[in-house]
Amino acid sequence: MTKQGSDICVIKSNNFHLPYKPVILLFLFLLSKEKGIAGNLLSEINSTKKEALEFIDKIDRSKENSLWPNIKPKLFYDNLKLNLENPGSFYPGRSTNFCAYGALSYLVMEKDPLGYVKFMNELYDKGEAMFNNNHFKPSTAVMKAAGTLKFKGVLDIRHAEQMWFLVLADKFKGYLNFFDKKFNEGDENSFWAATNLAKFDRMVNKMCGVHVKAVGSDLIKPWVKDPYSYLSKRIDSNTVSLYINNRIIHKKNHDKIKFSIPTHFIILRQISKENDMITLRYWDYGGETQMQVSSRTLKKIIFGIITIDK
Amino acid sequence: MIRRLFFILITCSLLATSCSTKIVSTNIYQEHKEDLDNIERRYEKLNPTNQFSLAFTDKKFNIVSLEMITDTLTRIYEFNVTEKKLADTLIKYNYDTAGIYYLIRKMQQTKVTWINSFDYYVNDQPQQLIILSIKPVTIRYIFSPPKYVALAYFRTAQSFDEKGRLLDNRRTKQVRKIKDQVFYKITDRICYTITDKYR
Repeated sequence: MTKQGSDICVIKSNNFHLPYKPVILLFLFLLSKEKGIAGNLLSEINSTKKEALEFIDKIDRSKENSLWPNIKPKLFYDNLKLNLENPGSFYPGRSTNFCAYGALSYLVMEKDPLGYVKFMNELYDKGEAMFNNNHFKPSTAVMKAAGTLKFKGVLDIRHAEQMWFLVLADKFKGYLNFFDKKFNEGDENSFWAATNLAKFDRMVNKMCGVHVKAVGSDLIKPWVKDPYSYLSKRIDSNTVSLYINNRIIHKKNHDKIKFSIPTHFIILRQISKENDMITLRYWDYGGETQMQVSSRTLKKIIFGIITIDK
Repeated sequence: MIRRLFFILITCSLLATSCSTKIVSTNIYQEHKEDLDNIERRYEKLNPTNQFSLAFTDKKFNIVSLEMITDTLTRIYEFNVTEKKLADTLIKYNYDTAGIYYLIRKMQQTKVTWINSFDYYVNDQPQQLIILSIKPVTIRYIFSPPKYVALAYFRTAQSFDEKGRLLDNRRTKQVRKIKDQVFYKITDRICYTITDKYR
């Protein structure tokens, strides 16, 4: 089965310790972000899938590179081609904390597929590259880990996506990564790869060069009276991403008391309402999911609404 | 103040450790071997035609979460098993209604709370395994997490180390984790783990 792991991008508290009081205060301060607007720092970039496919067809796809000792060239370039042919195929892997990078990939592929493929090719060749004026030079540990992730579903054989997710997690840091900044084996499942709302907004702004508006925060739900109306007003003219508590709709144990924290980033594709039932269709983990929730549940699960200019 | 806080934290940790959930039976697989193997076989037969997974989201095994999986879309529904809508939905999407109802009944009887198939890769070739989680009878203390027994059914014989831990393959000594859990040998192709999440 390819569609798995939709609730596995979860913050794992057993890997995280907050030893000092000031840190807790700082933590709460950072969480208090209710509304954020990331400006249009860069001119918008646009390229087409056709341009990207033409570019990849000209590349020598058999070249090996000792900088990336575990990347298999065939799997790498086949994966890049798949990403171009089917941009919704990005799969962040089972049990990882890569879901935010998955949502980001979706947005990058909408804006600049040629930029993506050029960046990945250069990164593979030289071990460093620029994407939209952001310089990426991953650590040696990350370069060694790319191509070795196992038991993550189809991500196991998608070497370009492994490289992309690891490099993004290595580059962008938020307060959740404060105690785990250096990559060690297995860190794709840990706080090293976790993403909070502000970090996600920043990544989208920097990588896509677009205007990002977000409401909500990491602990407090957005002050939106009617989330359905709010979302349906924006979905046609913008790309909308949601930061949700997936544990409510994708239960993992039978306990009734659950921590009310967001765990997952998704891209909202469609929303409709019949009586009190709202049908959501969203993208995550390499495909679309459709489910029905009540208005009350929708309000309960949403912690962040990120509106991105199309 | 900090010393007192430290003391409280240590006491709480010790209490939590000493009061962890205990599973009453130590041999769940052997006790329900026939039923569990039957559920796995039935699912393996039904799943390839139209992929799906089933989870009971309530303690009484009345509410079933059905995920209907296609290449382009996963539909997630939650029904009471007595609801007619469950059968209507299965019929609408051409699922084997009788077969899935049989599976649901068997899962209720054996307290299997979740069944799904996983893909994994050996030498870049796709393989599949089936995971099912059982909700065992437990002795549970306040603040202690729930416990489930997860069984992994592989299609081929697997490698294990001297401690019975599932390994990546015969040549390496690397322990293979599924959903971040170490699995232990029951038979050559079946292994188990104890987890606080059923999926």
